[in-house]
Amino acid sequence: MLALDLLANGLIYGCFYALMAVGLAMIFGVLKVVNFAHGEFFMIGAYTYVLVSLKLGVPPWLALPAAAMAGALLGWLVERLLMRPLYAGYASWGFMKDEYAVVVTFGLSLLLINLVDKIVGPYSFRGPPLIDVGRFAFGPVMLTGQKAIAAVVAVALMIALALFIKRSVWGLQIQAVAQNRLGASLAGIDATRTTSLIFVVSGMLAALSGALLAPLVNPSPDIGAFPAVKSYVIVVLGGMGSIWGAMIAALILGVSEAFFSVYVSYDYRDAFGLIILVAVLLLRPQGLLGEKGREV
Amino acid sequence: MPFACLRPLAALSLASLLALPAWAADPILIGVSLTQSPPGSVVQGTQVKDGMEILKDLVNAKGGVLGRPIKLVYEDSQGIPEKGRAAVEKLITSDKVVALAGGHQSSVCLAEIEVAHRYKVPYVNTNCWSDDVRKRGYPEVFNTSPYNTLVSSSMATTLATMGVKRVVAFAENTDYGIGQAKLTGEMLKQKAPQIDYKYETLDRSSKDFTAAILPLRANPPDVIVLSMLPPAAYLVMNQVYEQGLAPSPKTILYDGSGLADYPDFWQNVKEAGKYMLSFALYHPQMKQTPLATAIATEYKKRTGNEVNRLVLQAADSLELVIQGVQAAKSTEPDKLVKAMQTMQFESLRGISNFSTTPGYGAQQWLDIPFVNYELTAEKQPIAQTVMIQAPGQKFDPSKIVRPAK
Amino acid sequence: MKPLRQLWTDRLRFDLGASLAICAALALVPLFVSGPYVLGIILVSMYFAVIALGWNLLAGYTGQFSLAPAAFAMLGGYTTALLDHHLKVPLVLGIPAAVLSTALLGWVLGKLVLNLSGPYLSLTTLAFAEIARVVIGNSHEFTRGDQGLHVATLTDSRVGYYYIFLGTLVAVLVLLYVLLRGRLGRFMMAVRDDPVGASSRGIDVVRIKTIAFCVSCALCGLAGSLYGTFSQLVSPELGLLQQTGLVLSMVVIGGMSSLTGALLGAVLVYLSSEWLRGFGDIQIIVFALLVIGFARYLPGGLWGLAAQRLQRGRP
Repeated sequence: MLALDLLANGLIYGCFYALMAVGLAMIFGVLKVVNFAHGEFFMIGAYTYVLVSLKLGVPPWLALPAAAMAGALLGWLVERLLMRPLYAGYASWGFMKDEYAVVVTFGLSLLLINLVDKIVGPYSFRGPPLIDVGRFAFGPVMLTGQKAIAAVVAVALMIALALFIKRSVWGLQIQAVAQNRLGASLAGIDATRTTSLIFVVSGMLAALSGALLAPLVNPSPDIGAFPAVKSYVIVVLGGMGSIWGAMIAALILGVSEAFFSVYVSYDYRDAFGLIILVAVLLLRPQGLLGEKGREV
Repeated sequence: MPFACLRPLAALSLASLLALPAWAADPILIGVSLTQSPPGSVVQGTQVKDGMEILKDLVNAKGGVLGRPIKLVYEDSQGIPEKGRAAVEKLITSDKVVALAGGHQSSVCLAEIEVAHRYKVPYVNTNCWSDDVRKRGYPEVFNTSPYNTLVSSSMATTLATMGVKRVVAFAENTDYGIGQAKLTGEMLKQKAPQIDYKYETLDRSSKDFTAAILPLRANPPDVIVLSMLPPAAYLVMNQVYEQGLAPSPKTILYDGSGLADYPDFWQNVKEAGKYMLSFALYHPQMKQTPLATAIATEYKKRTGNEVNRLVLQAADSLELVIQGVQAAKSTEPDKLVKAMQTMQFESLRGISNFSTTPGYGAQQWLDIPFVNYELTAEKQPIAQTVMIQAPGQKFDPSKIVRPAK
Repeated sequence: MKPLRQLWTDRLRFDLGASLAICAALALVPLFVSGPYVLGIILVSMYFAVIALGWNLLAGYTGQFSLAPAAFAMLGGYTTALLDHHLKVPLVLGIPAAVLSTALLGWVLGKLVLNLSGPYLSLTTLAFAEIARVVIGNSHEFTRGDQGLHVATLTDSRVGYYYIFLGTLVAVLVLLYVLLRGRLGRFMMAVRDDPVGASSRGIDVVRIKTIAFCVSCALCGLAGSLYGTFSQLVSPELGLLQQTGLVLSMVVIGGMSSLTGALLGAVLVYLSSEWLRGFGDIQIIVFALLVIGFARYLPGGLWGLAAQRLQRGRP
């Protein structure tokens, strides 16, 4: 049944989108800025996974943590070297942090894409699957082993993240800093270190989503554009800073994209998400689960 | 000084005097605008650059052209028409190149030929398939690239010969994809009106085409035609395979963009590439000149990959400029244009000249040799593929291999 | 101590003076340089300068951080091109039509984002820009898609076009000066710095934002339209997000919230991006490093630095 197939496929891709977007939601929630280089975290994760498993012969299940490490490291470096001026009291950037963040991350995105293009080469690679099961029928739906496993891993990671944010000490610190930076530091939380942690986690999640999708999207140096724009749509749809919102929005986006492209047009499939974004912002600015009051 | 010594000494000094011009001769500058960074296709740009570099080295090793070495001046068009325009303008006005070659993306070509036409510098179209590049009718533009009309009509003939009933084409949403899909449909109407043909336009920047593929599962067509380029083409192949649609005993995949010999083909499609039928512009069984063989050997040595049609096309376009210079005995652009218009050239794959048919055939090498072959094993070298239509022969559907299940 | 208002007009006048001086220098260039390539490069940087000035008005002065300037340039270019291609409308009507259409679309966008600010505003404008680009790129029957549209030209003379662009640039600078000098300029900055405070003082924030959007987008559209007639080709690549990023880099490197900063940034950044061709393979990498370096270590931009030095002696 076509509709069932579309639903299943849409949900699976929704899980992947969610993993891609949730890191961005965290950064948004804390720094309230647009990160033009988010897609490149995804790309670095995908490339690490592919190169480590293909060139170094490491089994794919071990290449996943390698990708996570790469993403974490990149996130930490970006925060340490480039993002500090946003909040570490550099007065001249105080009222221009949006501009600064956009320009710096734009430059970073260009840099990473072209570095990878020069160092690794422009040819794309299909990443090795985590499990060698080819296509199999799951009820009326046709899946591949990779899609199924990757979806399961993605969901597991998001549940882990949700628990981390809600239950652990660091998670509570993150929530505090996201709500009110000054207040949190008055309460004794090291806001800078917490922000660093957020970037590390965000980088790690984006990189993992890249690694999980490497067998499905054949990464090339410019693969970052695809997760980036989807992530923006999801984060705003879901409500800024709301991780649950991002996850639900991702699933909705995945499913509705699938149906839209079949029943309306394949050509404008990517524009569809953007149209939804505009519509939601106009009709329900706080998104699905965001707090009311969109002035940041 | 004994006479016996004088002669070898004289010979030596004479030889060194003759050798001097080769060192002091100023190089012939040829401009190459291609894609070296995103958002254009760096994959194509790299292959074009490799092909031209190898030919240049081979030619210079033999003493160059008219006693002068060839120097290639590269500019990065990034796959953006405006950057291509600026690049070509710089090459012509600043670097003073005598000719241009290397264009491989139709939309960029269209911008670049305007500049070449304004300054009346010869421009050899390496790989822009769009008929529109020819239809402009500029006398400076020489087309050695395959063209949509050729590919579409041959594909239509193939499909008609196969005796199939339903064909679905996936076309990328570019001038090339839509152009090819439409043309193929038109030609099919003439050659085999009984075939049910339709095409779907897909967004080439999308990553998931399952939605377009799923509706076909209920009633699979006999042939799925691909009018797409990588990376989307690889994704479509993988996803078509994933859904169990093709290759299957009923449905076969037919590629119309010449990607079966791209260096990254197998690493991206793996088992999904088996049994794919390919319209192809290069096969070791085709007639080749010794120069072509030399290029193939050198390409393998430098990159570890088998030579392919894009590399040869690139080398061909440079070779044509060289032959033009030799025919004109000069590097003046207007003499070069005149010479190239009338000369008979020996490309790496055959002897021909540029036709004067207006429209899609304007200054186009019309009878570009092609074959149809089928891939039957993963990572298969081209020489071992199954030849379904040998050069100059008819398409023989009985040779097609189908998967067992 | 001069009244605040006069300090502002003084600074604006200094700003205008500096940018007109740069224009005067640019006007003299064709006397020394005749190569069409160099003139062409400076010309394209003037195209970017007009867009940068338009964006600066919206973001630097009014605080509306839009990510759509390149898209509006593309829309302006396509308006003129489509009118020429389908209806054979002459350029003398086609170019003003581009200004009108982008002003109108800018008005629409302004209305869409009235209640948004910060990253929400940015993302909505980004969505708008991408939708425009995708729609134009995919509507093959109407716009010929990625192949682009051929456009008529005003003149075949490279030097002629150079002065056309320069004249437009000077006109834009003067227009912006007049706009900013009066109450409108001060209200815009009030909206930027403290919208709640501004509206509590009786400033019609809605009207100010709308005007800013209209003028800014119309300027971008004008630039795009003129550029289309120059390169005789418009393609969807004009509206790529990467081009917007370039414009933003130019303004940030040159110096936000000043006319000279936007102009200087555009000229320097574009010239250096062409000059970097000499680096061959790694030109974009070097460019990216420069952008990051400037943004990170030189917050006021080059003009901010220069203006500080130049104005130190003034009372």
